[in-house]
Amino acid sequence: MKKKILSLFIPFLVICFIMSGCSGNDSGSESGAGGSDGGNNEKSKEPVTLTMYSWRTEDQAGYEKIIKAFEADHPDIHVEFKPFKSTEYNTILSNTLVSGQGADIIQLRPYNKDIPDNGYLVPLDDIKGLSNISDQFKDAARGSDGKVYGVPLSLNNAVIFYNTKIFEENGISVPKTWEDFVNVCETLKSKGITPIAQSGNAAYLLSLLHSVIAPSAYGGNEFVEKITSGETDFTDEGFKASVQRMKDLAQYFPKDFVGISDDDAQGLLYAGKAAMYINGDYRLSEFHEKAPDLPVDVIPALETQNGKAPVTAWVDSSYAVVKKSEHVEEAKVFMEFLASKQFGQMFSDTFARVSAVSGVSPEQPIIKKISQASDKATTPYLMLVHFTGGSPSTKTTFENALQGMYTGQVTIDQVIQETQQSAEKWFKPMQ
Amino acid sequence: MHAAYKKQEDPHRGDAITALNSKPSKPFKFKKHLVHLFLLPALLLYVVFQIYPILAAFYNSFFDFRGYVRMHFVGLNNFVKLFTESPYNERFFNAFGHNILYFCVVFFSELCLAFFLALLINSVTKGREFFKFVYFAPKLLSVIVVGFLFNLILNPIHGALNAFLRAVGLDFLTASWLGNPDTALFAIIFVSSWYGLGFSMLVYLAGLQSIPQEIYEAAKLDGASGWRMLFNITIPMVMQSIMVTVILTFIGAFETFELIYAMEGSSGSPYYATDVLTTYFYRLAFGSIGSNSSIGLGSALAVILFLLVACASALLLVFFRKKEVDY
Repeated sequence: MKKKILSLFIPFLVICFIMSGCSGNDSGSESGAGGSDGGNNEKSKEPVTLTMYSWRTEDQAGYEKIIKAFEADHPDIHVEFKPFKSTEYNTILSNTLVSGQGADIIQLRPYNKDIPDNGYLVPLDDIKGLSNISDQFKDAARGSDGKVYGVPLSLNNAVIFYNTKIFEENGISVPKTWEDFVNVCETLKSKGITPIAQSGNAAYLLSLLHSVIAPSAYGGNEFVEKITSGETDFTDEGFKASVQRMKDLAQYFPKDFVGISDDDAQGLLYAGKAAMYINGDYRLSEFHEKAPDLPVDVIPALETQNGKAPVTAWVDSSYAVVKKSEHVEEAKVFMEFLASKQFGQMFSDTFARVSAVSGVSPEQPIIKKISQASDKATTPYLMLVHFTGGSPSTKTTFENALQGMYTGQVTIDQVIQETQQSAEKWFKPMQ
Repeated sequence: MHAAYKKQEDPHRGDAITALNSKPSKPFKFKKHLVHLFLLPALLLYVVFQIYPILAAFYNSFFDFRGYVRMHFVGLNNFVKLFTESPYNERFFNAFGHNILYFCVVFFSELCLAFFLALLINSVTKGREFFKFVYFAPKLLSVIVVGFLFNLILNPIHGALNAFLRAVGLDFLTASWLGNPDTALFAIIFVSSWYGLGFSMLVYLAGLQSIPQEIYEAAKLDGASGWRMLFNITIPMVMQSIMVTVILTFIGAFETFELIYAMEGSSGSPYYATDVLTTYFYRLAFGSIGSNSSIGLGSALAVILFLLVACASALLLVFFRKKEVDY
């Protein structure tokens, strides 16, 4: 009997043994890594290695070039760029933040206060050169305490791409206002060309579209200030007009556009079957890759009532320093570099993107055009910048409702009602 | 017991005797229990990857989360929220309804159609293996691949289905299959049925082939007709196969995710028309593009889903056990 009980214990003992073995191995590798790092600290001559996490695997070669330039000035700091698949990045990031192992510098998703508010990051307000970046963009990396926890890297702009050849052949001039834009769509439609290559199967594309169309309806930043301060809400006539415009545009989209993907929509543009395509400026590199001969130009924005044409802009990502890192000081030196004009220019030239650092002049002509227009006036991507709170977020609720509007399941008023109800749950100025 | 008795009598002698007695049998006993050791790796994997996540989900469902950080104990609040607070309750019942519909349609196709196919294949003598393979072939593909292929086939612009309909002059039937809320879910259910048909058919076929021919011969002698034999012999005899497929279909219908995710993403596009409990869970637990996750609510939904599937499967088992026929 005793033996039997004993023998039943054996498996559990073995489990314990295996588990302790596993954790023993873990701590072994930990202390091993720590040991080598410790060694680095003692001999300060040896370069410190900073690991930076990113979700841009496609940018590896470009970053290596930029990092070399940094290392030339700072021989004692070595930076290792370590990108992960975008879809897996959030999970990897939360693991590394909770365990405090792996990364010294992380790429931060914009306008999300969860990570800074949980105390994983070092505040960067004292970083030299952060003043080169506009306050509006620094909001993307601010915690609830008002401190800045990341150096904004790149800006995204939502714009209207158009096929210059189709415009020329049909004698169409580039539209400036909403009315012009609708007229252009009418002309194209009457000639049998799909005016706008829009897809609707992924709902986020619809709120992106809204960010380009809406400012001309609600009047740009004045409305944004009012709605973010709680002076008005989504039942505002201006906002309603913006949703109405979204609905009015449906007749200029491909037939059954809710059933087609963004790739299908791009395909229509590449094939010359559609004349315009509304999306982020980051699509430009895809055009160059998939349709290098596409004669494409850009309309940065439509005019609002006050005659300005504010470009829809938002921060794409920031870089932040992990609090548990053993090399916070060195990481801050690298942050200074990221906030410098030198980096901004290199970044913009290498990746054909708009840098968050002011005064950088991009080489790529279309990016340059967008950048010049956005130097004059910008307006935030309202839903992404201010309404990603709540679960499900107001942004998601809004874009799904737009999809429902296009499939005839909900009315404009219901879209507004759902959006308002979602915002009231968490958005303090509206409570 | 014997050893213990001896111990009482004379502890030292008893020990010696036990030791002497057990010595020859010791290697044998150890060998006997050595077998249990071989279960360990599997047990360990099972505990770590099956039991632990389930228990963790139960535990998490009682907490409030901020991002990935567990905050306060909130009791049954997450469950109450799921059932009573808008929009959570609307999404839940909407998704639940879709799961039921999914089950009903797949149940019909897998039960009736697959059974009919199995009967046919069982009755043919030539080419049986060929037909078996043809109907089972879709199952050899990955669900994600199937989803992707049907995305191409059902595409409204250059999809093969609409092209075919136009070619045969049925233009009025062309549709944006996955973009129209009236057809999207049915399109997915159709693909799912097509995908799963072969498997159910094989299960029925195995059941049919295990029915002894003598029973049919005896029935024939008694003058039973074809229909009578089907309802009084064949169906009761394959009840076990029916039970297996019905329970698997039920679990499958409530845990379906990959195909919907591959064809419509996790948002239940268009406007929640293809939303099921698992896609809703996915959005709640992991968030979506530009949306925060709420692990507490997600875990609560996972617990509900677990209980739902477990209870319903148990009920189905009891129901079928009563109908089973042994021979």
